[in-house]
Amino acid sequence: MRALVFIPAWNEEAAIAGVIADVRKAIPGADLLVVDDGSTDATAERAREAGALVASLPFNQGLGAALQTGYLYALRNGYDVCAHLDADGQHPAEEVARLLAEVTADRADLVIGSRYHAGAVAESGDYRPTFSRRIGTSVFRFFLTLATRQRFTDTTSGMRAANRRVMALFSQHYSPDFAEIESLQLAVRQGLRVEELPVRMLERAGGSSFLTPLRSAFFIFKGLVVLLVGQFRPRHVEAE
Amino acid sequence: MLVLAAEAGQVHLTSQTRIVAAVLALFFMLMILELIRRDRLQERYSVIWFIAGLGMLAGAAFPGLLEVVANLMGVRNTNVALFSIVLLLLLGLALNFSVIMSRQAAQITRLAQERAIEKALAEKRAEGANGNGASGEEPLEAKEQSL
Repeated sequence: MRALVFIPAWNEEAAIAGVIADVRKAIPGADLLVVDDGSTDATAERAREAGALVASLPFNQGLGAALQTGYLYALRNGYDVCAHLDADGQHPAEEVARLLAEVTADRADLVIGSRYHAGAVAESGDYRPTFSRRIGTSVFRFFLTLATRQRFTDTTSGMRAANRRVMALFSQHYSPDFAEIESLQLAVRQGLRVEELPVRMLERAGGSSFLTPLRSAFFIFKGLVVLLVGQFRPRHVEAE
Repeated sequence: MLVLAAEAGQVHLTSQTRIVAAVLALFFMLMILELIRRDRLQERYSVIWFIAGLGMLAGAAFPGLLEVVANLMGVRNTNVALFSIVLLLLLGLALNFSVIMSRQAAQITRLAQERAIEKALAEKRAEGANGNGASGEEPLEAKEQSL
């Protein structure tokens, strides 16, 4: 089983080297790719210094496009499984290893690391959501569950593992605007086995969250539109 | 604008306004031809503008046409009919551009992704060619050289 771990990164020069080291230690067998989403700081240099292969997008394209780059790379280069995690240090690599193991064992096509799942225990220094994020989370949780008839607790998690069926799907269809939610809906609609696994997440190592209350409201609105439209999208025929 | 101004005279367009409108329409179509000639406008995006120009010309040549259309729409005031038609046309055009823009945005994204992947692979190959066998373990020097 060839495994790829990719890390979408946008202006994360402070955290990226630590994340790479963490992944190398926890998942030594996997290849590593940093997708640099048009960073204007030294993210790409830091990643190369840390020994990672870097795919640099020429300009910032958004998280969805960065993730899709990773899926496309994994698909093209014949990896059996792939996983991705955030570049800001919120996602411990040992948890990613657990997600990968789940896919490798073929218990699911796509595995999401959930920080809200009942099994996730909060320790000191662990992730605690802000108020506006909690509202957004519960709204999305409700509507995504409604749309997919499957229970999801952490709809916006950026820690995932996937097999080739998912790579083929996501490298073709991945919303640049609302990557996380729409991709879940899409995967379930395509009949893929999507599963959540409780994971530990940490507080951010550097940088700040982009969410302000107004942005959150817009974010939620956009998400609902995306979900509604997604319900009426045609199902795609699998290529492989 | 001038077409609208001409319509202020309601059904009875003076021959002067009709001539002005016709000249304007012709000028408009010539401008489109010139843009195509200078490679500033692609043919496939010019068709819609040509149709608009022809519409203007037809309106100037046959003022009765607008009245017929207004009657068909069930609008008594031809001014209102003209406004609605132009407004709908522009709305359609704007939407058409949004669609084109979305498609091009998707194409640009894919292009950027392909290039990023190609470059990363080339980097990886160069690293392998430098004889740094153990991939990922001690590629630091090789990478710094390539920088």
